[in-house]
Amino acid sequence: MISPVKIWRNQKKISSLRGSEGVIVSWTMIRVPPSGFSSQAPYPVALVQLQKSRIVCQLVDWDTKDLHSGQKVTLVIRRVIESPDDGVIPYGVKAKPV
Amino acid sequence: MKTNVIGVATTKFGELWDVSPRTLAKEAVALALIDSDIEMKHIQAVFVGNMLSGMLGGQEHLGAFFADEFGLSVPALKIEGACASGGLAMHTGVLAIESEQYDTVLVLGVEKMTDHSPEDVARALMGAGSEEERFSGATFPGLYAILAQAHSEKYGTTEEQMAMVAVKNHYHASLNPNAQFRSLLKLEQVMKSSKIADPLKLLDCSPITDGASAVILTTEVKSQMSKVKSIEVFASAVATDSLGLSKRKSLTELAATIEAGNSAYRKAGVGPKDIGVCEVHDCFTIAEILAMEDLGFYEKGQAAGAVVRGETTLGSQKKVVINPSGGLKGCGHPVGATGVKQIVEIVEQLRGTAGKRQVVDAKIGLAHNVGGSGATAVVHILGR
Repeated sequence: MISPVKIWRNQKKISSLRGSEGVIVSWTMIRVPPSGFSSQAPYPVALVQLQKSRIVCQLVDWDTKDLHSGQKVTLVIRRVIESPDDGVIPYGVKAKPV
Repeated sequence: MKTNVIGVATTKFGELWDVSPRTLAKEAVALALIDSDIEMKHIQAVFVGNMLSGMLGGQEHLGAFFADEFGLSVPALKIEGACASGGLAMHTGVLAIESEQYDTVLVLGVEKMTDHSPEDVARALMGAGSEEERFSGATFPGLYAILAQAHSEKYGTTEEQMAMVAVKNHYHASLNPNAQFRSLLKLEQVMKSSKIADPLKLLDCSPITDGASAVILTTEVKSQMSKVKSIEVFASAVATDSLGLSKRKSLTELAATIEAGNSAYRKAGVGPKDIGVCEVHDCFTIAEILAMEDLGFYEKGQAAGAVVRGETTLGSQKKVVINPSGGLKGCGHPVGATGVKQIVEIVEQLRGTAGKRQVVDAKIGLAHNVGGSGATAVVHILGR
């Protein structure tokens, strides 16, 4: 699932998304996470409308009052999943309420 | 060339610790052969619906694997489309008959899930989603929860209304000897069950299940020679949509279901009003509500109320009975077998051999199987 080459390939896309502004279209609170995410649970995952596209990503630095459709967010770079055995830290984007 | 179903069978669905996938498949196929009154040597091709044998069990090459097991040397292949693998295997079987390549084929759906840890199963199932979704930490309940939240916001669908889908499907499953859950469920139990991905709770979710189902298809000519009362496949339709939710036009419908449904209705020359019995893909309670609307049984926003009023429960005189088998929620959801099990249930209903869960005077039935969060939809319409 995670390989250093894949992470390297994703860097361009991730950096192009950094700082993008958007609004939450719909969301959920993941209470039973898949493997690699248990240290973060429970965490909200949202479908976010950006200027020209949409993205499914985790929320970060959130408060209960932010969990509703229409909430403005900005995309920031964060560590997304527990590191695999090879030690590469997988970074990705998360949405921070503003 | 019309396709006819002459034999169907399903194993018990559930946590089958003492049974291997090999034994499960053999049992389903042996029973389907007895049901069809033909012998193994008449099978000219095998189509296996399965999703997780490679990721979980380390066994791929399932076509040859099962052909070998059945003592056959005929063409055999695995068909994968996440939780729609079974429906796609059926579609491939229908194409094989309609193309006149083969006279008689076997469609097998099989999945063994309980040998593995829930975390490993959850991760393997996310193979059906997009990479973006996997990096977000989403799960399948999470993706359907996002759809549920959007549906609630637009149509006012409540958690109690969703919970009633589970209550109804457990009632149906209590009448099905092969179902995983034979116990009745109360609304309060669903509402009080632990939250998995808000607003979905544990008892809104279909379980992890082992099981196998088999269907034998043949040409119209061959079916007339058989002593068995055959059921005709009126239509077999498939549609696809974006793999992930972020490219969907709408979150309150599954466009693939609408497209496959419309295509199947057109091919069969029937409409939603003509369907008397229906198996839909209720992997989560919200999914049954979406399917009821997307298949045209109810207007958008009207299905949830109809479930609460019991319009789709066995014994109802209204519209259509939905998921008499207990659906994925009550009967269980061995992902690759589900789509084939739905065909088995519809055939038994149309033959009038469904026992306590028989829908009175069912003449035309529909089976609806979904892969992922709606990236694949398969619709079959059958009749007698």
